Amino acid sequence: MHLLKAIRIYLDFVLLFFIFAKCQGRDPDTSYVTCGSLVKLLNTRHNVRLHSHDVKYGSGSGQQSVTGVDAADDANSYWRIRGKPNETCQRGLPVKCGQAVRFTHMKTGRNLHTHHFSSPLSNNQEVSAFGENGEGDDLDVWMVQCSGTYWERDDTVRFKHAGTSVFLSVTGEQYGHPIRGQREVHGMPSPNQNNYWKVMEGVFIQPSNDPLHHDEL
Amino acid sequence: MAVRDFYKILGVSKSASIKDIKKAYRKLALQLHPDRNPDDPNAQDKFADLGAAYEVLSDEEKRKQYDAYGEEGLKEGHHGSHGDIFSSFFGDFGFMFGGNRQQQDRNIPRGNDIVLDLEVTLEEVYSGNFVEVVRNKPVAKEAPGKRKCNCRQEMRTTQLGPGRFQMTQEVVCDECPNIKLVNEERTLEVEIEQGVRDEMEYPFIGEGEPHIDGEPGDLRFRIKVLKHPLFERRGDDLYTNVTITLVEALVGFEMYITHLDGHKVHIVRDKITRPGARIWKKGEGLPNFDNNNIRGSLIVTFDVDFPKDQLSDQQKDGIRQLLKQAPSQKVYNGLQGY
Repeated sequence: MHLLKAIRIYLDFVLLFFIFAKCQGRDPDTSYVTCGSLVKLLNTRHNVRLHSHDVKYGSGSGQQSVTGVDAADDANSYWRIRGKPNETCQRGLPVKCGQAVRFTHMKTGRNLHTHHFSSPLSNNQEVSAFGENGEGDDLDVWMVQCSGTYWERDDTVRFKHAGTSVFLSVTGEQYGHPIRGQREVHGMPSPNQNNYWKVMEGVFIQPSNDPLHHDEL
Repeated sequence: MAVRDFYKILGVSKSASIKDIKKAYRKLALQLHPDRNPDDPNAQDKFADLGAAYEVLSDEEKRKQYDAYGEEGLKEGHHGSHGDIFSSFFGDFGFMFGGNRQQQDRNIPRGNDIVLDLEVTLEEVYSGNFVEVVRNKPVAKEAPGKRKCNCRQEMRTTQLGPGRFQMTQEVVCDECPNIKLVNEERTLEVEIEQGVRDEMEYPFIGEGEPHIDGEPGDLRFRIKVLKHPLFERRGDDLYTNVTITLVEALVGFEMYITHLDGHKVHIVRDKITRPGARIWKKGEGLPNFDNNNIRGSLIVTFDVDFPKDQLSDQQKDGIRQLLKQAPSQKVYNGLQGY
């Protein structure tokens, strides 16, 4: 009897400890991925960053290719997070889990895109970079899948294509010349370990104060 | 040590907002940087004072303590060097003013530049604002060992025999200290200056991508002014449209237009207002980028909403009597080659 009581009191203390323990880590305000931010996306299974460049596919749609690269210092791996077409996503607003976004390639202004063409190496669904100056079409829209309310910088998330329901994935096939060593990025119908991504380097915009709001005195 | 008035050093009032303080710091930091004032023996001290002033007044807690107890009342010493504060406004190599890297040795390889399109609202163009961003970037750090660098193709000539030579291509590399890339993070402050124009850029020197054999590139914020539902910008002028009723057009009206910072612009008419009539409100436009004290004008164009329902015979008679106009139809060429 006494033993049970002692265990209960012990567990109560443990519970209290967890309630009051403050998690270490970065300031909660800076831990979300927000609209307008420029990010690099790392595929956690194969350790490559989502990348594009002015090189077109030799098959399939013939559009600009999207690959996965090992290098961490290539500016061609930056993508800007934007809202759906005709929908402004306010600068600095954290992206919600389940929200529809577009990824615009910084250097070429084309959007991450997929459609019913076969990918060259693995015969999955081809993923390309499409459009001009950030404007493409409805097949540029992807949904951010994560647990929780908002997309946090520490999360590993999946990207599900709104139009064709495939997941952005890498399974390891490598290209030869002229993009030797780069991996194929494609769409796959089922969620698995190959379609987890995480933001790495980037410029993360924080929410701004409304300039009309005079918050002092 | 003399007592320092931090508000005076920054040139702001005691009730200045955090935005005013950031704006004042940014302007003065460029002016007072020691590299910019090589002939002034007090430059270092003035610059250090500026950094201390910003560090205290930009922090809510420290500012409260300073306001109550003065500089002696501040608890801990200053942590965070002034260098950190300066780089958050201008980038790691921000002392190379005006983003002029052209004077640098062109032979040093540079990492890629990053350009971020920063969307700003017309309200921000009117009142100014600061955008905080967190920059997470790979930084080149020394690592143990050596690596191959400056690899190039060279032609080697080998002698096969008397008078017979063979030329082959060979890859030749130098040996350099080993470098690895480590991710580092810091906060940057981008100012949206009053009157800023579309496509203007704010560079942060050295905040771009690293280069293993050289210097990092720059991070540039390119301003993109968003369309506004009520106002159209033309230079420093703002244009807006107002639809009034037929009665108001004939007898006059009074109204208020809510401006970009919330203040109200008063418009009163007691004469007849024709469709297409314009009112110019001087000084109610946007501040000029080069001189914030000069403002453009607000131009209001009126159009008239005609009644949608048909008028009854009684109303028609009433109007004929009230307005006393004889029937008149004047035919003319309205297009004239337009």
